[in-house]
Amino acid sequence: MILLVLTSVTVITLDFRGPGGVIGAVRSGAADVLSPVRGAADTVFGPVSDAFSGITGYGALEDENDVLWRRIEELEGDRLRAEDAEAELKALLRVNRLDRFTDLPSVSARVVGSPISNFEQTIQLDRGSDHGIGEDMPVVTGTGLIGRVVDVSGTRSIVRLITDPSSSVGVRLSRSGVLGVLEGVGPDRLLDLGLVDLETDVRERELLVTSGVDDSFFPGGIPVGRVRRATSTEGELQQDIAVAPVVDLGRLRFVKVIQTGSP
Amino acid sequence: MTLAARLPPLFVLAVMLHTAVLPQFRVAGVAPDLLLLLGIAAGIAAGPDRGAIVGFTAGLLADCFLQTPFGLSALTYSLVGYAVGMFQTTILHAALWIPVTTAVVASALGVVLFAVTGAVVGQAHLLSNRLVTVVLVVSLVNGLLFLFVARPVRWATTADLAPGLVLR
Repeated sequence: MILLVLTSVTVITLDFRGPGGVIGAVRSGAADVLSPVRGAADTVFGPVSDAFSGITGYGALEDENDVLWRRIEELEGDRLRAEDAEAELKALLRVNRLDRFTDLPSVSARVVGSPISNFEQTIQLDRGSDHGIGEDMPVVTGTGLIGRVVDVSGTRSIVRLITDPSSSVGVRLSRSGVLGVLEGVGPDRLLDLGLVDLETDVRERELLVTSGVDDSFFPGGIPVGRVRRATSTEGELQQDIAVAPVVDLGRLRFVKVIQTGSP
Repeated sequence: MTLAARLPPLFVLAVMLHTAVLPQFRVAGVAPDLLLLLGIAAGIAAGPDRGAIVGFTAGLLADCFLQTPFGLSALTYSLVGYAVGMFQTTILHAALWIPVTTAVVASALGVVLFAVTGAVVGQAHLLSNRLVTVVLVVSLVNGLLFLFVARPVRWATTADLAPGLVLR
């Protein structure tokens, strides 16, 4: 028993010495070997899993359906209004020779695995370094940011979602331009926006986008979340702000990995 | 058939179920921990030493698919497997509810130990309010799964033990 404990502690210490090496190779190899099995199991058990979820949450699904229909009508109106603004923005960016994240090269990938651990919020993609994906690249859907790549092998990659408790994203409030740090606190829970002082006017449903400041993993301007509530407590130095992700992270099927830098 | 021949297929099957199938069936967003249960079942069936070895191996396999420090699961699963084996040698085994209850309690302790040990080595986010939900779901579902896991684990871990030494 003592030998096993010592071995475990040694392995943990080796892992702390840095990424890559033997341990990195073991992890990548194991994930590559299991990747086809996980993909096949997802195909076989996906419908069963969906039925399981449907049975346990039928009432919530009906309510959600009503909400979604209302949202479609609202979004159609927004889309029409946004077309004109989009054209103006493109022209301005072109004049100033600036890039938007939508203009950066990207790789499309399919989500083939849900989180294995009960403590981590990660997903597995069916594309890896063979397809130009590297560590720390941002991952988005058509709606906004979902996370960043934290581990890559030849044929698959692991993405840490923004809801993971160890995730933090530098963001900017769209109205005031104030910067803050958005941190995950676990699945099915609102994100926590920190470092916003008490004087800043923060409104409900205000959009947060990535700040794109130097040393950030994420290019600027990617939608991340909307403010759900903001409260100020006397004596505190910052506001308590809860944020809902713009992307439904429980229903990811296809995503894009933005190729910032080379893998 | 020897121990060395019986254990590898058990681990392969367990890893496939743990990584590909069980994450599809979550209760309150929490999946059962089959690899932790493997060490516990081995401790119940074959005593502390084999519980620790099976727990250690299952933990190393689990670590291959996690972003937490490599070896963290191996450390906690082996300690739990050993503790369960020590406990099982001191109690009666006539009633089914005793090993099932042991599996439930040991699973809960295993999850807590993983989170606490993780926090000690810098993974402070493992100690959150969510830990309570994870402990409850994993322990209860693992208790249910134990009914299906106990027999194959006993078959694999007691291959070379004399019949009188096998805990039933």
